[in-house]
Amino acid sequence: MESELQVLWAAIVAYVLSGVIAIFGVALGRHRERIVLGLMALGLVLQTLSLGMRWSRVGHGPFITLFEILSSNVWSLMLVFALAYWRIPKLRPSAAVVMPIMFVMMGWLMLAHPGEGHFPPTYRTPWLFIHIGMAKVFLGVTLVALGIAGVVLMRRFGIGLTRFAGLPDDRRLDELAYRFMALGLVFDTLMLITGAIWAQDAWGRYWAWDPLETWSFITWLLLAIAIHLRLTFRPQPVRNAWMIVAVFVLAFLTFFGVPFVSESPHKGAV
Amino acid sequence: MSAFPGIEAGGVEPPALLRLLRAAASLKCTLALLALLLPAIVLAYNFEQWRSWPLAVPLAGLSLNLIASVATNPAFRRQSGLLVFHLSLCGLLALVAVGRLTYLRGTLELTEGATFEGQLNTVDAGPYHAGSLDRVRFINGGFRIDYDPGLFRGATRNTVRWLDEDGGWRESVVGDQYPLTTRGYRFYTSYNKGFAPTFEFTGSNGQTELGSVHLPSYPLHELRQAREWQLPGTDRTIWIMLDFDEVILDPETSSQFRMPADYRVIVREGEHRSILAPGQTATFPEGTLRLVGLRSWMGYNVFYDWTLPWLAAAGALAALSLGTHFWQKFMNKPWDS
Ligand code: HEM
Repeated sequence: MESELQVLWAAIVAYVLSGVIAIFGVALGRHRERIVLGLMALGLVLQTLSLGMRWSRVGHGPFITLFEILSSNVWSLMLVFALAYWRIPKLRPSAAVVMPIMFVMMGWLMLAHPGEGHFPPTYRTPWLFIHIGMAKVFLGVTLVALGIAGVVLMRRFGIGLTRFAGLPDDRRLDELAYRFMALGLVFDTLMLITGAIWAQDAWGRYWAWDPLETWSFITWLLLAIAIHLRLTFRPQPVRNAWMIVAVFVLAFLTFFGVPFVSESPHKGAV
Repeated sequence: MSAFPGIEAGGVEPPALLRLLRAAASLKCTLALLALLLPAIVLAYNFEQWRSWPLAVPLAGLSLNLIASVATNPAFRRQSGLLVFHLSLCGLLALVAVGRLTYLRGTLELTEGATFEGQLNTVDAGPYHAGSLDRVRFINGGFRIDYDPGLFRGATRNTVRWLDEDGGWRESVVGDQYPLTTRGYRFYTSYNKGFAPTFEFTGSNGQTELGSVHLPSYPLHELRQAREWQLPGTDRTIWIMLDFDEVILDPETSSQFRMPADYRVIVREGEHRSILAPGQTATFPEGTLRLVGLRSWMGYNVFYDWTLPWLAAAGALAALSLGTHFWQKFMNKPWDS
């Protein structure tokens, strides 16, 4: 376990460095984007290695304990953000919004106990990977949208006006953020459907109003509301940005709050 | 395609029906109804008795709103992916509603070696449930469950022999996420299982009946392996307790659910108390009770909902059409423009 944790800490150091350089890059107007991207990639390689070591040691994927769930989400969120950072240079300065959120998660991960949990028999199914995969993409693209929304909001409050000046105007950012929310809706829908299929298999019911199901449904509904608000009232980018913040906060609470308030990820799992 | 070809031609005052439809299709209405769903969900989550009307009203409103919108909003004619997505949402809703009317869920317990003959212990069914549970037959052939240290339950492997729809007997191993599926019913094993002392009761008329007593779930109620039981065909209630010294499931190591090798059954009726080993008897005014042996029993959850495959199909269609819609919408303009 020691070496697996050491590799994980090394990955976190790489992520933190990439974040710090990205934030200072935005603040000081110095672009070190290749270095940032390189460090993110290094962090991802190291964390993949650490996750793989743990997986082969305990015999199951990182899906059970708070430590595992945080770790696998840090990995998936960094992966999605790194891909967006790499492919869409226009959104790179949003790293100044996204990376502090990642730092919070990494800090929480470092405080979580790395002990093992029990892998329930109902988790031995491909639906586990499909369902969790969809959830991770959903949260990842919502994080990217949040980064862009954060830039719009910071501009609104007069923070970093000059630093973000090189970015497209709010309308264009709003359109870009919307695309990620749209992707988010597709993957959130898939997450709910695959979750229901798995629940049917595992517990003999596809829906039972357990805390996680309920909160996921509320998140999905909020996404539908956000999209329809936009459609009906064509609000200013700042309002849309607030909606994105609301969706992300709700999704975040659903992912990392609800499972650890109720006794197990799903009530039916016991 | 227009829902009302020709009617929308400029200058002509739309007929009352069309005006009504347009009002019903209002997107503000959509928003209000979606927002109304939020408190309905909170109610449904917190109170089981609030799971029908508070949800059904906004959902029915949304369906009407959507149908009106599909009929009048040209956006749906231009964007077929979007149309299919919204219609599949409607389809999902309709299927869930039909499912609520025709579903069945229930529980049953079956002793090892006993046959299920259509009788459930608890039933909860929609008003129009019309399955053929009475024709389902299966025999519980016993189970195997491994426990990890800390008494964590591993996979359940329950052997069942069951009558297929062509009248032939088949054997399967079911458990956890692999239910026995027959005639649309899904029988899932549950964590509820335990020991069943089995007796032969010979009444004063000379007739012999076999009966099993399902003791409380094991290891959940490890220290409460006792219960009352009415002697078959009599009014007499006796108290039965299983007693053994062995550790069956050891929290310290890996272990397996099994019958104790050495056990006794204590039978008590008022002041009268007997301790029976297998083959021994206790006598009552109504007849003689002989302990035949110890078996296991398994608790099953039954679920029936014929809409399941259609729900999955409607869900897949929703996700696919939503993806297609956004793909078409965003494909033309690069993401980094
Ligand atoms: C049930 C009542 C609903 C009605 C009447 C309705 C109506 C509409 C209409 C008219 C559009 C217009 C598209 C356009 O002008 O391009 C639209 C778009 C959309 N609706 Fe709904 N909708 C409903 C419910 C929902 C729900 C529950 C969702 C779930 C997420 C949803 C998701 C969407 C999406 C994703 C779009 C596409 C937005 C875009 O292309 O950017 N709708 N809806």
